[in-house]
Amino acid sequence: MAKLSLLKIIPLDSVLKVQGISKAYGTIQALSDVSFSVPAGCVFGILGPNGSGKTTLLGILLHVLQSDSGNYSWFNEMPSDQARQQIGSLLETPNFYHYLSAWDNLKIAARIKRLINPDIDFALKTLGLYDRRNSTFQTFSLGMKQRLALASALLGKPKILVLDEPTNGLDPNGIAEIRDLIESLHQQGITVIMASHLLDEVEKVCTHVAVLKKGNLLLSGKVDEVLRSTDQIEISARDLNALSAVLKHAKGILQIEQVGDRLLLQCSEQTKPQDVNEYCAQNGIFLSHITWKKKSLERKFMELINENQTN
Amino acid sequence: MNELLSIEWLKIKTYKTFWVLIGCFALLLPTWNYGIANGFMKIGSGDLNIVSQAYSFSNVWQNLGFWTSIFVVFISILIIILTTNEYQFRTNRQNIIDGWKRLEFYHAKWLLVFVLSVFTIVYVFLIGLIFGLSYGSISDFPGNISFLFFTWILSLNYYSFSFLLALLLKKSGITIGMFFLYSMILEALLSKGINWWSHSIAGNFLPLQCSDELLPFPLLDMVKRLANMSDSVVSIWYVLASFGWIIIYYLLGRKKLLKSDW
Repeated sequence: MAKLSLLKIIPLDSVLKVQGISKAYGTIQALSDVSFSVPAGCVFGILGPNGSGKTTLLGILLHVLQSDSGNYSWFNEMPSDQARQQIGSLLETPNFYHYLSAWDNLKIAARIKRLINPDIDFALKTLGLYDRRNSTFQTFSLGMKQRLALASALLGKPKILVLDEPTNGLDPNGIAEIRDLIESLHQQGITVIMASHLLDEVEKVCTHVAVLKKGNLLLSGKVDEVLRSTDQIEISARDLNALSAVLKHAKGILQIEQVGDRLLLQCSEQTKPQDVNEYCAQNGIFLSHITWKKKSLERKFMELINENQTN
Repeated sequence: MNELLSIEWLKIKTYKTFWVLIGCFALLLPTWNYGIANGFMKIGSGDLNIVSQAYSFSNVWQNLGFWTSIFVVFISILIIILTTNEYQFRTNRQNIIDGWKRLEFYHAKWLLVFVLSVFTIVYVFLIGLIFGLSYGSISDFPGNISFLFFTWILSLNYYSFSFLLALLLKKSGITIGMFFLYSMILEALLSKGINWWSHSIAGNFLPLQCSDELLPFPLLDMVKRLANMSDSVVSIWYVLASFGWIIIYYLLGRKKLLKSDW
């Protein structure tokens, strides 16, 4: 019994630690002092608008770009090339020899990954490309190229999958397939790190998220904490100043903002409109208006991005 | 090392351009020399065809070596295409992402360059053997075979030079253009200019020129020897200079690949 409880308190190791990574392209600061860590077994989303530094960050982590400062380590200080052999990656565009067949291209990837027994046929079947295994890469459609890149990333059953905008260029069907694939990989305990500019995608697929904006890491953590949709309550009364003064001492109200002749309240999850109404009445103020506004995730995301623009 | 080379082999073994360019070299070099040896390609005027005398042992190596120094451009272009392909397809990045160290990528290509230079020299040796036996006697074998060694140095110099150029310029069109511009026009201007300006032969030691000096045009060389005005610089300095440049190419390419973004 003692042993069991000991096991329970050992935290999940992180598979990737990033510390203070900065990179500039000339005068443009692509990344500044980015630090976070990725717990094993999660689906980690790197979320940010176009040009926020997502691809640069992944490029540095996979050794194709050099950072100006900072460092990172995969699997607790494993040498970077050995680590990369155990990571399946899809960065930006599918990169293959145009004149080689799908099968030969995967063969090269498998040899570089030093896989003893690569199941190339299985990878091709998983992504529905087995019938085209002898066609050259240049004859593939964009969607097939993307799927071949995913097949290559899956070679040798990697412990980590790094995907940059994995649903780029796919039709709705393809997008759904990729999401199902990520979900099933997650179920198998594979850590997935994916960059995306689609909030909706991150929300649907990821367990953890880091939000990037112009090279700055705004925040990172579990998706339901970082992107939790907080509710707002809009109220009004004859004397707004008095109302505002009363509410300042109320529990569960995080922020008060005046919009025209109304007050916009940011509330904690437990605080419902009837609580606010009751509290005001108890303090001698009767509300002339009250509405409950559910905030959308997009709004939350935009707020995150804009908040930091003014700072 | 074997692993790096065998992966390079996987990349090229079904590549049409590879076989076409190797084929051009392998077919044209002996055909061209056969034409000269049999007099239907004349270097000289009228019925005079001095060079055709030079296919027996002793002279065959210098003669073949000189013509090889022209036909190596096929393999230089091949190396440029194979290298710029990696940039164009972004497979250089993919090789790294899949787990190669940057130096492994670099050394794999260097090994290929080396193997192609060995291929060149083995092939030239075989052709030389056939010509030598056909136009002379085995009793003179091997003859002036140091020219075979010079031919190897020249091919290694040309191949590694084109590899470095491809690494620096990354685009096949501009790299091939620059390769021809430099090797055929710029370097000749520079080396003659430096010689004229400095009243020395310093210009002979430019990157490709120092290897070209090892394999002078046989006719000119013969005339010079007859007139007793052979160059005073011994070949050993050109050999050393060639190796010096090859090492410089290696170090420049290595520095560039380790420092830059891919």
